[in-house]
Amino acid sequence: MNENGGPMILLEGVSKWFGDFQALKGVDLTVDRQEVVVVCGPSGSGKSTMIRCINRLEQHDRGRIVVDGIELSDDLRDIQEIRREVGMVFQQFNLFPHMTVLENVTLAPRQVRRSPKQHAREKAMELLERVRIPEQANKYPGQLSGGQQQRAAIARALAMGPKIMLFDEPTSALDPEMIKEVLDVMEELAESGMTMIVVSHEMGFARAVAHRMAFMADGEIVEVGPPEHFFTNPREERTKQFLAQIL
Amino acid sequence: MATRVDTLEPLPAPEPERPPGRRLSPAEWARENLFGSALDAVLTVLFALLLGWALYRVGKFVLVDARWEIIDRNITNLMVARFPREELWRIWAALFVLGASLGFGAGAAATSRRRDVEEGRAAPPGQVGVLRRVGPVVALVAVLLWFASSLETTILTLGVAAVAAGAYLGGRRVSWRAARFVPIVLGGIVIAFLIVAAFGGVGWDNWGGLILTLFLAVAGILISFPLGVLLALGRRSSLPAVRVVCVAYIELVRGVPLIALLFMGAFMIGFFLPPGADRPSLVTRALIALVLFTAAYVAEIVRGGLQSVPRGQIEAAQALGLSPLRVTGLIVLPQALRNVIPGLVGQFISLYKDTSLVFIVGLTDLLGVAENITKQPDFLAQGLIVETLLFASFVYWTGSYWMSRESQRLERRLGLGER
Repeated sequence: MNENGGPMILLEGVSKWFGDFQALKGVDLTVDRQEVVVVCGPSGSGKSTMIRCINRLEQHDRGRIVVDGIELSDDLRDIQEIRREVGMVFQQFNLFPHMTVLENVTLAPRQVRRSPKQHAREKAMELLERVRIPEQANKYPGQLSGGQQQRAAIARALAMGPKIMLFDEPTSALDPEMIKEVLDVMEELAESGMTMIVVSHEMGFARAVAHRMAFMADGEIVEVGPPEHFFTNPREERTKQFLAQIL
Repeated sequence: MATRVDTLEPLPAPEPERPPGRRLSPAEWARENLFGSALDAVLTVLFALLLGWALYRVGKFVLVDARWEIIDRNITNLMVARFPREELWRIWAALFVLGASLGFGAGAAATSRRRDVEEGRAAPPGQVGVLRRVGPVVALVAVLLWFASSLETTILTLGVAAVAAGAYLGGRRVSWRAARFVPIVLGGIVIAFLIVAAFGGVGWDNWGGLILTLFLAVAGILISFPLGVLLALGRRSSLPAVRVVCVAYIELVRGVPLIALLFMGAFMIGFFLPPGADRPSLVTRALIALVLFTAAYVAEIVRGGLQSVPRGQIEAAQALGLSPLRVTGLIVLPQALRNVIPGLVGQFISLYKDTSLVFIVGLTDLLGVAENITKQPDFLAQGLIVETLLFASFVYWTGSYWMSRESQRLERRLGLGER
């Protein structure tokens, strides 16, 4: 394994079909250690599908995906290994409604890493402090606001100590006044050196945090570049059109 | 789409406005709802007369005309039928164990609930008093004692009640999670069963009356529930062979009346056993038929619950690295089962009452005894079946009603955890 050299995430010619519809058309992307890549693009362009392929929530049909030196194959053990290293945050939070916030956060460490109960709880409380909802630990997700739920979901994903965090439109289901509290947490996470891929249209956040921007359309990565170029002087016509629409 | 909300000054809380409420005195309420118009008044009087007449007839029958001596004389038969009388102490011993374990479980559950409410994790209980909760059971016991009219039985029953109450108070003092006290309750049920059946006791082949009914119902529920869950999971399995077997089983069994299954169990099981093998007893065969039947229905109810769990729940659990078994056991099933409590309890109440069908394959359960005792020489051809059926129905009703009430409590208790 390449602990220090080589990219954290490597996608090479990744293609994916849903029935006859080709959702990904030979996507190439490299993400370095501690790099934050923000992916944007019109709806249906394959952004979500791409990051869902990285932890095998979707199975790619062609190409290679290598995560921290482990190539995704049909071997269930490789998949589980990669999933332990990759945390994911969803648009709809997907907290487990029948468990308290604390139980949500301690579940994976206790079940997958077999951490002792006390240790898992202490770690979980630290994470809840970090996302600034320690006082919600014993509540059920249904009793929390959307922003609090999404921060709890971030804590849950962090509990496994992942090397990579994937964010699939984390603020799209939130009311405007709650978006900032989630983005603040994500920004801190990026500053701490986490490798992140964020699917988002929060361009203020992208400008501040992203090391690189990626623009996707029709299942392809159209343009990748540092945000200062991407926003002011995009190469591709399609990128220009898209940015003109959302900015 | 920049994030512009930085600080919002909280607005001063306005004086809360109350909905326009009206309080009616009983007289006003009656005038408004019962005698609002001429037609209303006529209908009210008419139905009041009908209701009064029906109540009068039923009351007169139950309290005056009915010849309850048939129940008086046969109360032991109705409870245990052919069970050897010299072994009845085993049933009492089992009742003491059951009282202790169920009482303890109820106490521990009350404490764990209170803690959940205090920590904001469960809805506060409704205004249902203890008396209303145990009301059906108390009514049943009172009626049984009245018919038994024996000092010894009364003392033993009070003893069981005392043990149950003591265990309840003991259970309230521990603060355990359900995972710790539920096994104790189940263990108590098993021990009670062993006291009656094992150690030179009386096997269930010789049980009858109410204990046979309860045995078939409790064993049926405890076995068919896990079996039904497995079938439901199998029906959604990714392995085609497992899926086909489960679908075939569920669809076949659901297409056959329970009575047909009971008859098949009673008369056809020999075909499926190797020659020379001992045929299981009639009670066992009836129990198997009830379990197989109920499991198919439980499977379909649980499948509905499995489908109600959003796809995102499974994805979130997978993304955390949980194994497929843990995804199902820790994330999907708990949510699925919670969503189908009403359907499941309905099915179990059905099973409880359907146990009475075993009477047609020759078993003497509660209903069987109720029918048989009308043929005793002292009571033959005197039309006393009404009394015995009323009695049996009352026993069935108390059990069903109790189950239904407890399931409503369970739903409310789990309700707050919902999204």
